[in-house]
Amino acid sequence: MKVTQSAKEKTKAKILASAVDLIIEKGFKNASMREMAKNAGVSNPTIYNYFPTKEKILYAYVEQKHKETALILQEIEDFNTYTLREQLQTLIETELELYLEDREFVLQISDMVFHSAGLKLESLYSNNEIFTDMVKDMLEIAIEAEEIPRPPLEEHLPRLFWDYYIMVVAYWVKDDSEMFENTTQFIDHSLGVIEALLQSSIMNKAHDLGMFLFKTHLLSSLEKFSVKKAGLSKLKRKLFEGIENAK
Amino acid sequence: MQSKIPTTKMARGGVVGKAMLKIGVASSKGVVKRAFMSKDKRAESQKETHAEIAKVIIESLGTLKGISVKIAQQVALGLPFLPKEYLDEISKSFNSIPPINKALIRKIIKQELGNYPQNIFDNFENNAFGAASLGQVHIATKDDRKLAIKVQYPGIAKSIDSDLGVLKFALTRFAKGGNIDHLMGEVEARLKEEVDYEIEADNTEHFYKNLKHDLIVIPKVDRELSTKTVLTSSFLEGDGFEEFLAKNPTQKEKNHYAQLIFDSFFMGLYHMQMIHADPNPGNFIFMVDKKLGLIDFGCVKRLDDEFLTSFSKLHVSLMDVLPDEEITQQYADLRMIDRDTPLKMLEFYQEVIKPLDRIYIEIFEGDTYDFKEHNDFSERGFKTIMEVQKKSITAVHNMNEDYIFVDRTLLGYYAMFEKMEATIDTTFAKRLVRY
Repeated sequence: MKVTQSAKEKTKAKILASAVDLIIEKGFKNASMREMAKNAGVSNPTIYNYFPTKEKILYAYVEQKHKETALILQEIEDFNTYTLREQLQTLIETELELYLEDREFVLQISDMVFHSAGLKLESLYSNNEIFTDMVKDMLEIAIEAEEIPRPPLEEHLPRLFWDYYIMVVAYWVKDDSEMFENTTQFIDHSLGVIEALLQSSIMNKAHDLGMFLFKTHLLSSLEKFSVKKAGLSKLKRKLFEGIENAK
Repeated sequence: MQSKIPTTKMARGGVVGKAMLKIGVASSKGVVKRAFMSKDKRAESQKETHAEIAKVIIESLGTLKGISVKIAQQVALGLPFLPKEYLDEISKSFNSIPPINKALIRKIIKQELGNYPQNIFDNFENNAFGAASLGQVHIATKDDRKLAIKVQYPGIAKSIDSDLGVLKFALTRFAKGGNIDHLMGEVEARLKEEVDYEIEADNTEHFYKNLKHDLIVIPKVDRELSTKTVLTSSFLEGDGFEEFLAKNPTQKEKNHYAQLIFDSFFMGLYHMQMIHADPNPGNFIFMVDKKLGLIDFGCVKRLDDEFLTSFSKLHVSLMDVLPDEEITQQYADLRMIDRDTPLKMLEFYQEVIKPLDRIYIEIFEGDTYDFKEHNDFSERGFKTIMEVQKKSITAVHNMNEDYIFVDRTLLGYYAMFEKMEATIDTTFAKRLVRY
């Protein structure tokens, strides 16, 4: 059983590699599944077993890079002595480093995400558990170590960080500076901002303000309606529950 | 796609503008205060004002992040006889280059040397050992060798042009007559060399091979582990300048090291025709067994025979106190005085250059010079410069950059010797000057 599993992984990796090469060569639209299968030395049905659609190949690629990144980070002996910002920065820099050899491929994904409806950013989320889990771990440890105060909407932060990462990739694919040193600086400076935000209480204060405005003004105007329509009080109760849950 | 901290020239100009505004305030504060003060207090207050101005300049250049700090050092050292307070502030500015954190150092090493630090070195200190010009230094060990790895902050090289432009604009206020262009050109050339660590590696190796002195130690470069932005060399164990002074060295020890610094300069000048042109105290390591380590060869200056001949001739003439007419002619040959009618040239010499070179040549008058006794050396120099600047005499358009660089390096050393209160013996240097 174990052998089959690793054989499966091997086949999958082989298909993925030949698919990436073909897409770089012919472009996403013109690269056919048939040719990918042929290049990888597998049959037509086999490739569909692994990747029912061409889009799935893209998601699998991104996931593959997350896995490799996770392995590289695990090898850093003193990673626990890194600050939260240094850990996040290492995560991003390592992902980008792995993307480098397939830069043209990443360029295509990025174009599809930002310039055509071909690919939905939303669909990428489901394959990012490895990435978001890494971020979640780093955040949790930093909170526990009291490096940062517990931020509001904590459970949404890893996803937000993924959005930030997408932005970094978008910057990187357009970066024409030598050794992509602009991207390096962009990451360094923007993470400085993120670090400052996380370390300050600004996020908490802003959250408090938002909550105050919402509860006091938005909910009280709902109250007015609720006198007339009893159904609204139900809605109000639900909203409250939602807020409490979100906390 | 552009990014970053003050990117456009206008934004940077804005920061500098703010600094100029602050300088204005600092100066006028001094003036107002001084008007109501007794004589002794006046000197003290002037010192404070200088310190304040220096701080403002450096602070604002620091917020520009890029390479400005380095330029500030270069320019400040290029204008001879800046007050000591300026120099103090400038040496502090070494710490204001943005830090390279653990994530970034890992990335740079991987990118430049092809692998992560943990896979290249037996041990690699993630925390920087110290700030270096345009980057920071990390300590590592490999095969039982202790190494110093200088790493440059990314994107530094690119910011030179825009930063220089801004600085030129700011400095025209200080320099009457706009004779700063040539100097700025020289500074730019030095800086572009300094950001390229491969050139520094060449220079270091050149000094390693050619500067022969039993008590002078020069690091050995590891070429395999060096690139344009990473420089690996052997680590020199010892004290920095401030550390050395803090340990209350004896007069003999202080004299010994000052002498080594002074003599090694002239050895470089005459034996190698190359000088270590960055007289920052941080570039000297006070090692055990009376040895002196010389580090950081990012800023060196090569000098040709023609220059050395006229430089020596001029110094001999100054030491022998030849007639002003003769000296004027030599300055003109060195391109330090614009060609004009003999009378006008003589006038320029006597009004502008002579007051300065009298102070400068004072060092060489006797066999020794005691900086403890003459602890007002740089202050006198600065006052003279200020007085010279008040005389709005026609500008020098064609300054000899080599001459300026050699001079400003020596002046930098003298500022150090003054701090060390050392006595130096000038006989060896004079022998070289006289051939």
